[in-house]
Amino acid sequence: MRPSVQRYRNILDFALSSLLRRKGRNLALICVYTLVVFVIASLIFFVQALKREARELLVQAPDMVVQRMVAGRHDPMPVAQAETIRAIRGVEAVQPRLWGYYYDPVYGGNLTVMATDDTALAVESVWVGQGVARSMRVKEGDMISLRGYAGPMLFSIQKVLPEESELVSSDLILMSPQDVRSLFNLSEGLATDLAVQAGNPRELPTIAAKIVEQFPDARPILKSEILRTYEAIFDWRGGLMVVVLSSAILSFIIFAWDKATGLSAEERKEVGILKSIGWESADVLLLKFWEGSVVSLTAFLGGVLLAYVHVFFFSASLFEHALKGWSVLFPRYRLLPALDGYQLAVLFFLTVLPYTAATLVPIWRAATVDPDAAMRS
Amino acid sequence: MNRSSRLLLPALLTGAVSLFSAGPKPSAAPKGPLPKGNCAVCGMYVANFPDWAAVVTFKDNAQAWFDGPKDLFTYLLDLKHYAAKRNSSDILSVQVKDYYGLKHIDGQKAFYVLGSDVMGPMGKELVPFATEASARDFLKDHRGQRVLPFQEITSQTMKSLE
Repeated sequence: MRPSVQRYRNILDFALSSLLRRKGRNLALICVYTLVVFVIASLIFFVQALKREARELLVQAPDMVVQRMVAGRHDPMPVAQAETIRAIRGVEAVQPRLWGYYYDPVYGGNLTVMATDDTALAVESVWVGQGVARSMRVKEGDMISLRGYAGPMLFSIQKVLPEESELVSSDLILMSPQDVRSLFNLSEGLATDLAVQAGNPRELPTIAAKIVEQFPDARPILKSEILRTYEAIFDWRGGLMVVVLSSAILSFIIFAWDKATGLSAEERKEVGILKSIGWESADVLLLKFWEGSVVSLTAFLGGVLLAYVHVFFFSASLFEHALKGWSVLFPRYRLLPALDGYQLAVLFFLTVLPYTAATLVPIWRAATVDPDAAMRS
Repeated sequence: MNRSSRLLLPALLTGAVSLFSAGPKPSAAPKGPLPKGNCAVCGMYVANFPDWAAVVTFKDNAQAWFDGPKDLFTYLLDLKHYAAKRNSSDILSVQVKDYYGLKHIDGQKAFYVLGSDVMGPMGKELVPFATEASARDFLKDHRGQRVLPFQEITSQTMKSLE
C-alpha cells in the first residue's frame, strides 16, 4: 500500500476509535441528528410525491374548464354556449360536464357526484369510490339512498371503483346524467361547466381571451393554473409543517452546534498531545474531519433511509393528516417511490456540510496553537 | 454561539423551506409520428420541438428533419448547399405541423403566416396552416403580417425573418 493511503487509513482508524471512546455522547448525537434528517426528508419526499401524483392525474384533465360566474359565484352554464366555443379557432372539442357536491349528513362528509356518459352505467345505479364504500359500509349490489330535490332517491351500486384510482375517486359517486339532474334539480340545457380541449396548448390563452370576450360571465380555468394551485397548496402545507417543526430543528441545530464547536479542555489537551508527538496541524484537521463525516454521514443515510420507508411503505403515516386533508374521506393509497437527486443533494448540503464545517473551525483554531500552550491551558 | 453561527441558522431554515418549491415542470405530450435526429440545417435536436418538426422525404425514402418550417425553407431554397447530390425533382413530400391541430400536413399545400408574435425554435417563424381561413384567423389573433402559400416563399421572404 502507498504510504499516503496508509496515512489516511491510520487517521481514519484513529478517528473511529476516538469516536468509540466517547460512545454515549456520539450515539446520542447521531440519534437526534438522524431524527431531524428523517423528519425533513420525510416532508420533502411526501410533498414531492403528492405533487408528482397531482401532475400525473392532471395529464388526463381537460386543457381548460369554463365556468359561468353570476355575481362572483359559480352558476350552471347553458349547454348552448358549448357550440359557440367549439367554433373558436383552435378548439378541438367541448364537453359539457355535470357534477356537484352532495353533503351526507350521516357520515358528515362531502361526496362528489358526477355524471358519466359511459353506457355501461344504467339509470338508477351508481359507481362509487373506495372511500364512499368504506364509510357507508356498502359493496357491489347494495342499495344506497340519497336525498334528492324531490325526495329520497334509491340507487343500486353497480361497481366499486378500483383502488388504483383512489386518490381522485375516493369520494366519487358516478351516475347517469339524468339522475344527476333529478338529484340536484338541474334543468335540461344546463351544465356545471364545460371542458375544452385545444389542438395546440400554446393557443389556450388566446382561446380563453376570446371566450371571455364573447361571454363576459364566463371564467376559463387553464390546466396549468390548476396545476399551479395544487403545487402551491402542497408547498404551503409543506412550509407550514416546516414552521411547526422549526423549533425542533432549531434546537437540534443549536445542540449540534454546541457539541461540535465547544471544544472541551480535554479535547484541547488531546490536540496538544497529538501535536507534541509529531502530528501536523493538517493531520489533526483530517482526523476531526473524519470524525465529523462519520457522524453526519451515518445520520444522513439513516435518516433518508428511514424517511423513504416511512413515506413510501407506510404512506407517511406520521403527518399524513396534516398534509393530505381531503375533508373527511381520506383516500387510502400508496405513493409511488421515486427519488430526486436534486432534493437529496440539497438535503445533503443542508445537513452534512454545515455540521462538518462547524466541527472543523474550532479544531483548526486549537490545532494552530502551540502544543505546549494547548496542554497547559 | 459565535457570529458565524448566528448567520448560518436563518440560512439553514430558509434553505429547508425552499426545498419544497423545487421540481421539474410538466411537458405537453407530443402528437403524431416522432421526429428523429438533428435538424439538417442548424443541427438542433428535432425531438425537442415536436410541435414544429418538419420533414422532407425524398423518392429514395431518405428523410431530412427540421426543427421548424424556417429551417425547412432555408434547406429547400438552397438545396445545392445542403444536399449537393439532390435536386428538387427528387422530393417526394414535404410535411409540416399544422399550428392549430399539431398534426402533419402537406407542406406544399399549406399556408404560412409571417411576422406573428408566435416564436418558433429559431425565433421568428413561418407558422404553417392547413387552410387559408385558419391562417387568416391566426394572422388576426397574433398580429401577423402576411399569409403566403408554399410557392410564394422565396429567399427574399427568408431575409425578413432574420
